[in-house]
Amino acid sequence: MAPPTQETVSADPQAAQLAALLAACANRDRAAFGRLYQASSAKLYGVALRILRREDWAEEVLQECYVSVWTHAPDYRPGLAAPMTWMTSIVRNRCLDWLRRPRLEVADEDGALTEAAESDSPGPLEALERAKDRHAVARCLAGLEARQRQAIALAFYDGLSHAELASHMREPLGTVKTWVRRGLLKLKSCLELQEQA
Amino acid sequence: MNCKNKPELRERLAAEYALGTLRGRARDRLRRWMREDAALARAVGEWEARLAPLAQEVEPVRAPARIWREVEARLGSGAARSGWWDRVAFWRPLGILASGAMAALLAVVALLPAARPPPVESMPAAYIAVLSDPRTQRPVVVATAARRDTRLAVRALDPAILVAGKSLELWAVPRQGGPVSLGMLDAEQATLTLAGSADRTLGDVPLLAVSLEPRGGSRTGAPTGPVLYSGPCVKYW
Repeated sequence: MAPPTQETVSADPQAAQLAALLAACANRDRAAFGRLYQASSAKLYGVALRILRREDWAEEVLQECYVSVWTHAPDYRPGLAAPMTWMTSIVRNRCLDWLRRPRLEVADEDGALTEAAESDSPGPLEALERAKDRHAVARCLAGLEARQRQAIALAFYDGLSHAELASHMREPLGTVKTWVRRGLLKLKSCLELQEQA
Repeated sequence: MNCKNKPELRERLAAEYALGTLRGRARDRLRRWMREDAALARAVGEWEARLAPLAQEVEPVRAPARIWREVEARLGSGAARSGWWDRVAFWRPLGILASGAMAALLAVVALLPAARPPPVESMPAAYIAVLSDPRTQRPVVVATAARRDTRLAVRALDPAILVAGKSLELWAVPRQGGPVSLGMLDAEQATLTLAGSADRTLGDVPLLAVSLEPRGGSRTGAPTGPVLYSGPCVKYW
């Protein structure tokens, strides 16, 4: 089981720069931390905003995440994950934990979520279409059946749980779970083929 | 149910955790398993790496300036740094170059093993800092750590430096960036826990300093009281 090799640190100058900044943060370099924030916050704020759909929540989560990035910078291992992968995972996990707070389960106050689901989540999915040349994962996602692709994109970008996917795609829970599971399996074998090629 | 001997289940749970569809108690449980099951943790890491490029397609949104302000405030902002920090920055090169301080350090290193047993047993200390009182030029605090250890052994050579009702806070002053708190010296001897191995946390720290703070330490994350003692921090093997 070879680790995924897309987006490795050495291959990508931007990733190499972020990795250098993270290494400086590990040495408690606050100036480097400021530069890391400048280089990454717009992307990560976008990720948090998309999942949480409320600016005040996204701000709160992003603050916590950057404090966490600073605290855990000494634990970051460039060999294991690209810097953006590492930071994105911190943000997405924190967002999902945030959504779990019971009173927040009704997050879709303005209906934007439903709209996004009904319009096949246009933003990122369209962007993915354009990104096919750049990312193997986008290429592989494009190769999935439409409903599998939609379920995975809604889960990744909008942070929907299985139950939320079922409700927004208006399909039984079991069906949606199967789409996700099969979609992920196909995604993995497609990525492995791409790596070998 | 555990997934240790079920590679297919492990793979599915890892993928769903990384995607985010694994929720609630299942999510908590997987986090616990990840701590004990290195293969599971690796599988999650691989899935996160597979999916992460998708996040690059999210439209970037300029983060409001107050996010950064709040982050800085939580970590101890640059504002608290002026004054104290300027003073340290001013004589920081001195701390490295001053032959007097270095001589004091070497003298203490030479005397230390004879005077008392080494603070971290069985391993010779690799990083050593000797902090002096600038008025008397006498060493008053010694801090030592082995290279891969996260424990920093700190000792007040003169117990009289402890101040009732206040805390002596020990700071690492790195080559770049602001001082980082290492903890309190509230007794004659203390073992402080570093944020990482000494190689990581002290490797680029030429100077340690002690400031006088309210009981329990600075509330801002940066030194607020007067700097009482300071001295070079060196790696000697």
